Amino acid sequence: MRIALINGSPKVKNSSSSILLEDLKGYLGKNVEIVNVELHSPVITKEDIEELMKTDAWVFSCPLYVDGIPGHLLSCLIQLEESCVKNSKKHIYGIVNCGFYEGIQAKIALKILQNWCLKTGYIWSGGIGVGGGGGLAMISNMKPGQGPKAAIDRAIEKLALSILKNDITENQYVSIAFPRFLYKMAAQLGWRQMIKANGGKAKDLGKKLD
Amino acid sequence: MKLIITDIENFSIPVEGDHKIIKPQGNIQHCIGCFGCWAKTPGKCVLLDGYEETGRDMGKCTELIIVSRCHYGSVSPFVKMIQDRAISYTHADFVIRKGEMHHKRRYKNIITLSSHLYGENITTIEKETALELLKANAENYDGLVKDVYFYQSVEDLGDVVL
Repeated sequence: MRIALINGSPKVKNSSSSILLEDLKGYLGKNVEIVNVELHSPVITKEDIEELMKTDAWVFSCPLYVDGIPGHLLSCLIQLEESCVKNSKKHIYGIVNCGFYEGIQAKIALKILQNWCLKTGYIWSGGIGVGGGGGLAMISNMKPGQGPKAAIDRAIEKLALSILKNDITENQYVSIAFPRFLYKMAAQLGWRQMIKANGGKAKDLGKKLD
Repeated sequence: MKLIITDIENFSIPVEGDHKIIKPQGNIQHCIGCFGCWAKTPGKCVLLDGYEETGRDMGKCTELIIVSRCHYGSVSPFVKMIQDRAISYTHADFVIRKGEMHHKRRYKNIITLSSHLYGENITTIEKETALELLKANAENYDGLVKDVYFYQSVEDLGDVVL
């Protein structure tokens, strides 16, 4: 079985999308062939399309952008729709992570992927909306199934089992297992550190432009 | 002020009152997820290609009107890239509204949002998704929803006055 893991983050490295795909890879085991496809820009290469067409299932992983799919990935989806072999019975899965705490906020982005499947004839087979994606990079070294990422890992494990069985599952919505108020505080502290590192002041975060 | 974001290059739909139109004029760069618009040049995207000030424009508008091809219930890549690069309309910090986490306001204006979406075969489910998307956008901008309107083609927008 050949499975394409498609990183749809605009970030070339250190993205939450890639962390989630790495976790999934661990649960998929060694009896499958993984094909990594990196979609960081609005144009997908002919070589990547050809490689994708030789796989049995695709897993998209991307961040939630303004309640939907990032613009560059949307552009790639349109290209893929134009290039795909209609009704090829390929199974499509999606993992959408959001900076907000609630994974359910990724619901519409997953629906957009599902609607794309209806246009291409591919089989939407389930996805995960991950909340608290902004914190994943800080806990990526923890053992799978432990700590604040445990609930996310369980959802990923369930998705992996579905992929291996060519199954269709309901979308799952999970959040980082970390109190919401602490997540909010940590994020806000992070913004203040970032703007200071960039030579600015904390109060500039609220700057209003004329 | 009405802010129109459209993917139609030769946009000629009449607009009543004070307005600004953001449409394709040269290549657009996509958001690279750097958060510079929040923590480096607050309020403005760091990619300088002529599309970097939508967040500021949104801070001045009372209505945000999207005119776009509908793709899978979403707007087109151009319109989406504009939206993705305008997150600095909001503040980086979080607030809880209606039990969910969203971004805090940067500006005080309340935006009323509407979408005019065109396409030959927009399905019922795509129409439902498009409405949900606009409502979610309004929730995140702490604004209001007017409605989503659908058209078979750009030509069908001919009788519309925005």
